[in-house]
Amino acid sequence: MSDFLDEVEAAVPALRRYARALTRDADRADDLVQDAIERAIRKRALWRPTGPLQAWLFRILLNIYRNDMRGQRRRGDHVALDTPGAEPATPAPQHGHLALAEVGRALDQLPQDQREALLLVAVEGASYADAAGILGIPAGTLMSRLGRARAALRTLTGTADEPRLRTVK
Amino acid sequence: MSAGSNERGITIDDKTLHAYVDGQLDAARRAEVEAWLAAHPERAAEIDHWQRQNAALKTMYDPVLNEPVPSRLDPHRMAATLARPRWNWSQLAAAAVVLLFLGLGGGWLLRTATWQEPPASDRLIDGAVTAHALYVKESRHAVEVGADDKAHLVTWLSNRLGRQIDAPDLATQGFSLVGGRLLPPLAETGTGPAAQLMYQNATSDRLTVYITAATKPVGRPFETYAEAGLEAYYWADAQITCTVVGDLPKTEMQTLAKGVYEQLTWRPDPPARS
Repeated sequence: MSDFLDEVEAAVPALRRYARALTRDADRADDLVQDAIERAIRKRALWRPTGPLQAWLFRILLNIYRNDMRGQRRRGDHVALDTPGAEPATPAPQHGHLALAEVGRALDQLPQDQREALLLVAVEGASYADAAGILGIPAGTLMSRLGRARAALRTLTGTADEPRLRTVK
Repeated sequence: MSAGSNERGITIDDKTLHAYVDGQLDAARRAEVEAWLAAHPERAAEIDHWQRQNAALKTMYDPVLNEPVPSRLDPHRMAATLARPRWNWSQLAAAAVVLLFLGLGGGWLLRTATWQEPPASDRLIDGAVTAHALYVKESRHAVEVGADDKAHLVTWLSNRLGRQIDAPDLATQGFSLVGGRLLPPLAETGTGPAAQLMYQNATSDRLTVYITAATKPVGRPFETYAEAGLEAYYWADAQITCTVVGDLPKTEMQTLAKGVYEQLTWRPDPPARS
């Protein structure tokens, strides 16, 4: 039991980061994480120690998030951006960096399934296999969501001809 | 040019480009991709943008990892809290007794699907106990509005709480209404102001009933609290929270709490009656 809780505890910072990026609201993100941990603790008998606990926790968190979103579908939540070029691009920021506020706003406009996929890979650094498993989708679907998410972000955040960014780890 | 080949016929597909951006390629494959990108500038610009997207997202959200984790997200603490109502059999048995005396069906425990951390209910109980201790000592200023003006008292408190409440009749338990007062909202409960009703019996024992609008989410459906001879019974539903506080013997407190519960609590799904 305490091993289990230790492992959950170790996963909390990453869960918070993912929830923050998903919701872009610190309080709501922590509520989400709290719900996920509670559910995990209550359901821990269902967890098979063979699988990675962290992936299981992400799956639980996503389920709660999706239910929340279904419950409170807000206006403007599902702007269809499947066709790159549909939205006017804003001027590119300087020095090759993307303006963070702009990226944040663009993130808000991504369809939920694309946002879930992109953040899992780009922010959490999940392998494609892990990400597909967490999202409950085939690998091919993951890649197409990733492709559409990146195309949409590019459309929303600027143009292509900018100096190359230093590699940031 | 969504997928292509370089001079030596190596195919670089979209999946490989994503994997390149996400650092999921080995060194040899990475070198191939870089060579290919050098020969495909339009694609290279796109890939460059993808990399900057990743960098921006990491810049925005990696700092969360270094933030102190709020104690409400401590799994050990949460497990201890959750264990109280759910897994500790002696606690569960105690809870069953409380449920029985409250005269409830078994659906009650199950109806509140999500268990919140204690904050709201604990704070409300604290508030109720503090207010009780403060005002039961008063003889002339025990209440703001006396029982002789009960209609006004009930209307006033209902308006301020935003909930239609009534002052329960506890005459069968030997208690009559003294009156009531409005109390300020407690921090971080989100319930708004509280109403305190005071009752008294023939031997001047006093009982207070502390009512607020419901917390969101409803949280724990009931709690009991006992300290230094003072007992509190708390319950919550989608309409209100209610805490009954007094220093009477336990069995009498239970009877009184039951009487208040039956008269005050709205049932979201009342039994069908024709």
